[in-house]
Amino acid sequence: MFAQFFGSYLLNEGLVTAAQLAKALEEKKNTKTRLGVLAINAGYMTAGQVEFIHQVQSTVDKRIGDIAVEMGFITPEQVEELLTKQPQDYLILGQTLVNDGVLTNAQFEKALNDYKSFNALSESDLNGDKTDKLEKIIAQFYNVEGESAPRYTNYLTLLFKNLIRFVGDDFTPMNATAVTEAEYENTVGQQIIDDDKKSYTAICCNTDVYIKFAERFSEEKLDIADDFVNATVGEFLNLHNGLYIVNQSNEFGNELNLDPQEFIYNKAINFDKITIDVPIAFSFGTVHFIISNL
Amino acid sequence: MTIQDMTVMICDDSMFARKKLKDYILSLGVAACYEAADGEQAVENYKTYQPKIVFMDIVMPKKTGIDAVKDIIEFDPDAKIVMASSVGTQNHLKNAINAGAFEFLQKPISNEQVLKLIETVAEGV
Repeated sequence: MFAQFFGSYLLNEGLVTAAQLAKALEEKKNTKTRLGVLAINAGYMTAGQVEFIHQVQSTVDKRIGDIAVEMGFITPEQVEELLTKQPQDYLILGQTLVNDGVLTNAQFEKALNDYKSFNALSESDLNGDKTDKLEKIIAQFYNVEGESAPRYTNYLTLLFKNLIRFVGDDFTPMNATAVTEAEYENTVGQQIIDDDKKSYTAICCNTDVYIKFAERFSEEKLDIADDFVNATVGEFLNLHNGLYIVNQSNEFGNELNLDPQEFIYNKAINFDKITIDVPIAFSFGTVHFIISNL
Repeated sequence: MTIQDMTVMICDDSMFARKKLKDYILSLGVAACYEAADGEQAVENYKTYQPKIVFMDIVMPKKTGIDAVKDIIEFDPDAKIVMASSVGTQNHLKNAINAGAFEFLQKPISNEQVLKLIETVAEGV
């Protein structure tokens, strides 16, 4: 989960292009993290030391870890610790970008440290799937504030978890914008009903992306945007909204309801309440999530 | 009764949800698998086919799944209805059980959960 926001940070800082990032997100499933990146992340070695060891390794037939220990940069116990730990997804992304030559070890080290300090995150915070830390990153990323901030944060955190779980992890969250109108080739909308208010949520995108999104979720090959594609994208929204209102019910005692989904094509929807458009760039295209009056 | 003798009905307004569940249930070799796309159709089809087990969504057009359960239970107090819904809030759980549903599954539902429930109902018939 942190990989997507780390990727977005790299993009916003101009360290990678959208195309480089999309390629790395697709490739990362085949990437193995190497000791250098792991040691930089853990703070055991600097990028300079890693570069130096790579140069030495090109002249001798020894493993990186052995050279690093001989040089006194790292202890054997630290090597063991790094190699036995399951690497986190943001590190795999970083390694992929280093392998692709997009980032040097030094640029990766600086970006990682800046990102951690920007979000006030420690190494242990980034290990695992800590919802409170994720919520913090998400609240900061989207700059949500005010009375409704906890609901938006909760909704978005759950959205990213559900996207990773059901659609794929090859995406980059882009900056959200406040909107008063939305018009896309395809929109699936659903109202969340509270006693005294109605919130509106929607998934919007152009037709090619709509079909790809449905293909991912249904795990079936789909060619045209027919009723089945509508039903598939609609079910993702329904599933996600359902889990959100169950969370609200269990954690806050808010009993919300859902309306059946509606499908809109090439027609503007207008909003008179606070509404945000949250674009998420997948490797197959950008999907927009509209959240209004949550 | 064996799984091969079981008849099943899936009530969900999502064509996608029905297809996914039906594909799995048919792969188990059940005798028949019926569908309904809204609450009204669910009640009508139950009366026609009287399936041994029903998987029922809650948020549906025309008639909600909870109201459909009430009508089906009124027609057949022994009906075995499993709520399979994305909205497993405390109110919905309570309402579903009060209406006569015997189990509640929060979507996404797994094949294992579905198999276990069909087996349980088959054993009891």
